[in-house]
Amino acid sequence: MDSRTQPAVPAEAIPLPTGLPLPLEVRVHGRGGQGGVTCAKLIAALYTQMGLHVQTFGDYGSERSGAPVQAYTRVDRRVIANRNKVYHPHHLIVLDEGLLGPAVLAGASPGGLLLLNSHEPLERFADRYGEYRFGVIDATSIAREHGIGSASVVIINTTLIGAYARLLGISLDALDRAFALLGLESDLAAAEHAYEALGMRAPVGEAPAPAAPGALPVPPPVMPLGQHSADIPAVLKTGTWSNLAPRYREQAAPCNVACPAGNDVVAFIQALRHGGVEEAAGILLRTQPLPSVCGRVCPAPCMTHCNRAAFDGTVNIRGLERWIGDHAVLELAHETPGRRRRFAVVGGGPAGLSAAYQLALRGQGVTLFEAGPALGGVLRNGIPAFRLPDEPLRRDLARVTGLGVQVRCDARLGRGDVERLLDGHDAVIVCTGFGAATGLAAEGADLSGIEQGLDFLDRVKRGEGGVSGHVVVVGGGNTAIDCVRSALRGGAESVRLVYRRGREDMPAIGEEIDAAELEGVRLGFYGQPVAFQGQGRVESVVVAEVEAGPPDASGRRRPVVTDRTTALPCDHVLLALGQGTEVALLPEGWQKRGDRAWRGGEALPVWFAGDCGTADGTVTHAIGNGRRVALRALADVEHPGVEPAQAPAADPVAPGQIRFAHYGVAPPHADRQRPPAECIGSFAEVNLGLAGPEEAERCFSCGHCTRCDTCLVYCPDGVISRSGDGYAIDEAYCKGCGMCVAECPRSAMEMHEKHLPGAAP
Amino acid sequence: MTTQLLSANHGAALAATLAARANRRGRGFCSGVYPITPSTECMEYLCLQEIEKGRVVRVESEHSAMAVCIGASAAGARSFTATSSNGLAYMVENCVAAACLRLPVVMAVANRTLGPPWNIWADHGDALTLRDHGLIQFYCADNQEVFDTVLCAFRLAEDAKVMMPAMVCMEGFILSHTVAETEVPDQAQVDDFLPVTSIPHRLADVPHTLGQIEVPHQTEVHRRQHHAAMLGVPEVYRGVQDEFEQVFGRRPADAVRAYRAGDAETLIVSMGTMGATAERVVDLLREQGRRVGALRVRLFRPLPAEDIRSVFAGKRRIAVLDRDVSLGFGGVLWGEVRALADRDAVVQNYMAGLGGGDVRPEHIAAWVDDLEGRDAGGPPVMTEVV
Repeated sequence: MDSRTQPAVPAEAIPLPTGLPLPLEVRVHGRGGQGGVTCAKLIAALYTQMGLHVQTFGDYGSERSGAPVQAYTRVDRRVIANRNKVYHPHHLIVLDEGLLGPAVLAGASPGGLLLLNSHEPLERFADRYGEYRFGVIDATSIAREHGIGSASVVIINTTLIGAYARLLGISLDALDRAFALLGLESDLAAAEHAYEALGMRAPVGEAPAPAAPGALPVPPPVMPLGQHSADIPAVLKTGTWSNLAPRYREQAAPCNVACPAGNDVVAFIQALRHGGVEEAAGILLRTQPLPSVCGRVCPAPCMTHCNRAAFDGTVNIRGLERWIGDHAVLELAHETPGRRRRFAVVGGGPAGLSAAYQLALRGQGVTLFEAGPALGGVLRNGIPAFRLPDEPLRRDLARVTGLGVQVRCDARLGRGDVERLLDGHDAVIVCTGFGAATGLAAEGADLSGIEQGLDFLDRVKRGEGGVSGHVVVVGGGNTAIDCVRSALRGGAESVRLVYRRGREDMPAIGEEIDAAELEGVRLGFYGQPVAFQGQGRVESVVVAEVEAGPPDASGRRRPVVTDRTTALPCDHVLLALGQGTEVALLPEGWQKRGDRAWRGGEALPVWFAGDCGTADGTVTHAIGNGRRVALRALADVEHPGVEPAQAPAADPVAPGQIRFAHYGVAPPHADRQRPPAECIGSFAEVNLGLAGPEEAERCFSCGHCTRCDTCLVYCPDGVISRSGDGYAIDEAYCKGCGMCVAECPRSAMEMHEKHLPGAAP
Repeated sequence: MTTQLLSANHGAALAATLAARANRRGRGFCSGVYPITPSTECMEYLCLQEIEKGRVVRVESEHSAMAVCIGASAAGARSFTATSSNGLAYMVENCVAAACLRLPVVMAVANRTLGPPWNIWADHGDALTLRDHGLIQFYCADNQEVFDTVLCAFRLAEDAKVMMPAMVCMEGFILSHTVAETEVPDQAQVDDFLPVTSIPHRLADVPHTLGQIEVPHQTEVHRRQHHAAMLGVPEVYRGVQDEFEQVFGRRPADAVRAYRAGDAETLIVSMGTMGATAERVVDLLREQGRRVGALRVRLFRPLPAEDIRSVFAGKRRIAVLDRDVSLGFGGVLWGEVRALADRDAVVQNYMAGLGGGDVRPEHIAAWVDDLEGRDAGGPPVMTEVV
């Protein structure tokens, strides 16, 4: 074999560097991912340009990013026969300064070449490595500057070769050709940069004699396989073999992100699973006082966003909230603040109740002004009893009043009263809800028998009469649906709904629409009343057909009214077309900007919460907004002028991040429903809620560790152990395989880069 | 002819690619592949090649990979695969089938020890499990040899007098992943060297079955025929070497390679890369005036017994190095060749480098020292080399 293979390039091509020992042995030390094996290959390619024979190979071990790696190159004038590793390198190249120790220097001959990748300048090594021809280059910075590799794993092999060529006095031309041979031309600029930037020095003093080869190493004893469980070499710190490590990190659950009230849904459901209803209430009542109400009337965007919807059906979160609200007896105690302030909250609806509750929880003095005879606002007069009976409302209201909130009912405030309230209070929070109900500017709209739906609902709720004959309800929101269902119970012969868009566009809660249909309401879509006919009293509604036009800002298709009309005979019309957003209480010269009142350039301690501030239109939004505004008002009183820090919006865990395979299929527990036949003419509650709290078992707990032990079970190296409330990862032995993160059923773990610049060692 | 810097894995795949393309005038090429360290890069390289009238089928296991090769070969195509270690073990059933059906599939084996416990590094124990089942076995020592032997293996396996599978073994990592210069011929040269694949019993227009049931006597005869064909392989291989030399202008390595053995008193016998390292040791010991030579067995099945016997003649001391162990016996190569030495020769077995242990020139020199202190062969010696 000696003369068989021709060198890759004719011998005359590039001159040999002076003093090059042949046969030459080169050893490269690096970490997996830095490109040590290619580095050795490039060295080989460099020498083939000089007409020499080469052999190059990696010492393959754990084959992971970050693990210590060695690679070798042999160079000779004759074909290289032997295939063992290199133990006495003439040239030693170290890609990571952190690796440099006695084991790396072992066998390197004094007088040989040592090339080090380090960000330290040459002078820093004045007292070290004097016996070598020494070169130091900040290849990591150069390679990063040239964009080779990733931020944490910079590939420095090609850069380093530039420095190697310079240290040996090999021409740039040879470098150019070697890079071309391996198709690495794109990295040549970095190599040339290193060629220029290298710091180097000659060996100090006389070249000493090469070290005599030492005795062959004696292998360490190995236990029999039958005892191998004791044979784990505890000294092998495999934690150095990786750039990545797992860690536990709580991530935002989609339900939590979606909840307008800001409830920690995952936490209260998990508490319900493990600690029972009182423990769950302890979490839920931190964010909102009305779980029995929300558990009945919330449109539950948490359920729309629940990751379990992509598996076997969304978790019945609303039902669980109701379960907690209806069964917990817990009363949270208020804090005792350093200084008790006084707040006035105007409006006893959901936003006002929430604001008063949050302030009272924090030990603040709160007076709650309600225009009506009792607290509740829309809860009391706008939501029919078959959806929200008195008992749960009373229970939730007691959670607010139980904290010592001073309640003033029948206290209808007028323009100017707010300014007067500022005298006795540190701040005023206005929660008066929507303005007047929207009317319909159509011919005959003043005929008798045409009534605002909200007035109707209030009337029915107070037991002051119902309807009779044929009823037409106009609108598509929850008020419209409450009206049709109330009309049906209040004595109507037939009930028909007229809505100008399609069913999928209705803002009402889907289950409520279904229930209305089930109870016998006829739903009419793409219709717009354009006139009312009758002699003094309405006898029919003229409904024009509506076509779906191009989408508007809300993404829904804009209704286009046509001149094709139909007359619907009727005895009664209920309008449910929404409400205005004007704030009647605002004094002259004040402006509402965002959620705060201003007088000219002066910010006043007067705040707006709920629908009068946001017009979001749901009880749950009002609760959330009431809490947030109350806390801002409190913070502003305690620390005037300091803007509270806003937590950045978190990306919720997506269905793709949940390992469905870890869960058994378990269909949702549906709410129990009163049979439709029993509902006719009855205002008894229709939805009877869950039969038990078992639905909590279905929660994936997205992004929140449940101590399920999956990480511990799947760790192939057994480096995860239970520790305190969670787990400990032994980073000295964690190889960063990522199996725990991949297997975590709920995406409560992540991999992080250990060697990012600035990361803790 | 160009010289390229190639790993042996890539060299084997490139040789197979050239052979595959050479059969475009015949019934083409088809290969079943499945990855396993350290042979994965060989199949990866093959998968990336464009082969006219060729197809590489990625399957779900080594067993199926060989099944694809059997089907392809039975249909008259040229066929090749690559595997290693437990992958080969899983493939064994179909390897035996390919052999018994006399189908000339060529297989590159990146030798890796069998586990568990898991170890990805080299010894010959995987390929040696197929010693007795009618597959030709070559063991290589450098990159060029791997490339050349793959080309020769197609010529040899597809020879009408041979017609059986051939394995080309290279130690995992030590050879499979080592990069060195490799002379690569042009396609036209390979076309000249490799005639169109012709499998006389291939499934063609007349329906028949391959591998149907046999009665004892039929099996006796088929085994005798297979055995006889095996015994004829060294002679056919010499012809292949001649033709290779004619086409490519250089001679591929012999079935057994003697190195400075003529006047040697002590001989170091081995297979694979240890044999190349042994040649360096011979050079070093010769510089000290010691009459040491080396013999490397490249063709292990069939064993070229006469070639070995003629090199052994007159040698006083023979060290047989095995990168394998037949547990309960000793080195497999030692068991094969010890009877070929002179009656009064001291034949001593040294087993080392199991599971990838790095056999250094110093180790081999130490075994020569040990051998030269012996008056008679003793029980096989197992050495741990770290």
